Amino acid sequence: MGIRYRKLRTAGELQRLMRAHYLEGQYLRFGRPVAWVTSGAPVEILRAMGILAVYPENYGALCGARRCAVPLCRQSEAAGYSPDLCSYARTSLGAVFDPRQAPMGGLPRPNLLLACNNICGTVIKWYEAIGEHYGVPLFVFDAPFIHDEVQPHALDYVEQQLRELVHFVETATHRRLRWQRLEEVVRLSNDTVSLWGEIRTLCQARPPPLNVPDLFVNMAPIVVLRGTRSAVHFYKHLRDEVAQRVREGVGAVPEERHRLLWDNIPLWHRLYRFYNDFAQHGACFVVDTYTGAWSQAVPAGDVLGGLAFAYATVMLNRSLQYRVEEMVKLVLEYNVDGFVMHNNRSCKPYSLGQYAIKRQVAARTGVPGLVIEADMCDTRSFALEAVNTRVEAFVEMLAAR
Amino acid sequence: MAGPCYLGIDIGSLTVKAVLLDVDRRVLARSVLPAGYGGQEAAASVVAQTLAQARLSMADVAYSVVTGYGRVRFNAADEEVSEISCDARAVSHLYPSARTVIDIGGQDSKVIRVDASGRVVDFAMNDKCAAGTGRFLEVMAAALGVPVATLGDLALMSEHPVEISSTCTVFAESEVISHIARGAAREDVAAGVHRAIAARVLGLTARVGLEPQVVLVGGVALNKGVATALQQCGQAITVPEDPQVMGALGAALFAVHNGGR
Repeated sequence: MGIRYRKLRTAGELQRLMRAHYLEGQYLRFGRPVAWVTSGAPVEILRAMGILAVYPENYGALCGARRCAVPLCRQSEAAGYSPDLCSYARTSLGAVFDPRQAPMGGLPRPNLLLACNNICGTVIKWYEAIGEHYGVPLFVFDAPFIHDEVQPHALDYVEQQLRELVHFVETATHRRLRWQRLEEVVRLSNDTVSLWGEIRTLCQARPPPLNVPDLFVNMAPIVVLRGTRSAVHFYKHLRDEVAQRVREGVGAVPEERHRLLWDNIPLWHRLYRFYNDFAQHGACFVVDTYTGAWSQAVPAGDVLGGLAFAYATVMLNRSLQYRVEEMVKLVLEYNVDGFVMHNNRSCKPYSLGQYAIKRQVAARTGVPGLVIEADMCDTRSFALEAVNTRVEAFVEMLAAR
Repeated sequence: MAGPCYLGIDIGSLTVKAVLLDVDRRVLARSVLPAGYGGQEAAASVVAQTLAQARLSMADVAYSVVTGYGRVRFNAADEEVSEISCDARAVSHLYPSARTVIDIGGQDSKVIRVDASGRVVDFAMNDKCAAGTGRFLEVMAAALGVPVATLGDLALMSEHPVEISSTCTVFAESEVISHIARGAAREDVAAGVHRAIAARVLGLTARVGLEPQVVLVGGVALNKGVATALQQCGQAITVPEDPQVMGALGAALFAVHNGGR
């Protein structure tokens, strides 16, 4: 098998940025409190108050990519947590219970916790367990499920919690929020998000400048460093490089025969190998639903109202119909020939309903879909042969169309 | 013997199959052998046996296609094609009006939707679990102490099938054993086993939709009990004369098509 991956020039910069993020939490705190935060939480408030935010989900993905998640999952299972629980949660709890087994010795000990249930319900119990273990306070940020349209009373409710969150952090850390600083952080957040959106849009080009593993690897700063200057710098460089590829007609895979759409979190444990199997057949994933979850800006105007809207309306907090519409839109905008959905044993809110979504998207666009069953980190829920057969049959099906 | 011939090989988890066609797609020979360890040696034997039946040698084979789980490691063929495409090709060749193919093999079951021109439109396969497959039947036959070949006929004699609720093969085996311990009749347990498989496969079918004509292929199609249990979906189920070699036949049809290019 030849080399199917065209490396980005910015890869070194990304690595330095992420290493610095983890080192900062471990060694360069300078008295700043550390918060453990879920991926869909209003981190801008913490940032504006000088609190270091670290992300157990990102840490889980990192362990998955290094293929050391399973021993940590086993630790959690030995402590009584169900193997059916999310593998990020099991990895993170395993690292808490036995840091000696964990990469970098686990995340730095938290001073406070912030869990927002706009991504799933697991985070509530997961963070409660962390809070109990370390004896630190937890703020549960509740984002009501959106059945069709977001309701004004739901936005009021979320905004009210933002005020409570400010109060909670002030009490826990004895730091005060400067509103001007918050507006500055939100501006930086929006700059990051709009650059990320630009990069994703550039992938509409032919040949596609990026394959989806590039998006997955490069999404780390949008999650963990959203609202920082360093993230804005990095994404400017990445955007420039991707734009250059588009101008020069440089494609991410040697030969683009099939343009595909990816749904759900990737298989971190075989990220490049998995997508290379598709690239072997000339299939490139030009877009996905997951990394798009971080391309929504905080609307202008009143800053708390804007944050309330942004965090109340994330994708996994919305109806299946909304997700069908989003996928149909992506199929048309990116001109894809097929879509692949990862039925991710870990992520129930993302994976339940995929068969219904698949049926509707296929019927509305005439483009076929494939569902594969695996897990983002836990390799015990992955059967290589079974997945290969599906992938091969799907590519044959695309080629025969 | 005039003209070139075309070979299709299917290396499955329990058996290996080969079909030899002439250029007009007439079957010259076919054979089935147990897969043994890894299936590679058995594949070589099944090819030799098939060629011998037709009094031909490898030199007469113009093109060959391999399919099935062992296909990746089998280097003697010109091309690899997945079982799904092969099943669809063979069934559409024999039954042009077929729209749904159910293939129950040794370690997996698949449901394939095909269009009027025989192309695969959609497919679904069983999850990481052997329930609803040939392996499931083998385990249950062992638990009942009967040869797997007679399990289907035994089930057809049942008047009061028992309920097997577990979808896990290992747990279902425990269930079967406890039914036996409680004195259930063998045929009733056998019928329960077939119903469990059918329920599992029909669940899979629902993912791609069940459109007539429905054709059942794969080694498990040899078992009349499964086809009968599947009829509970309200559709007539067609079973080809030689259902076990459909994958190999499809591979051979691809060989004729792709080798003639």
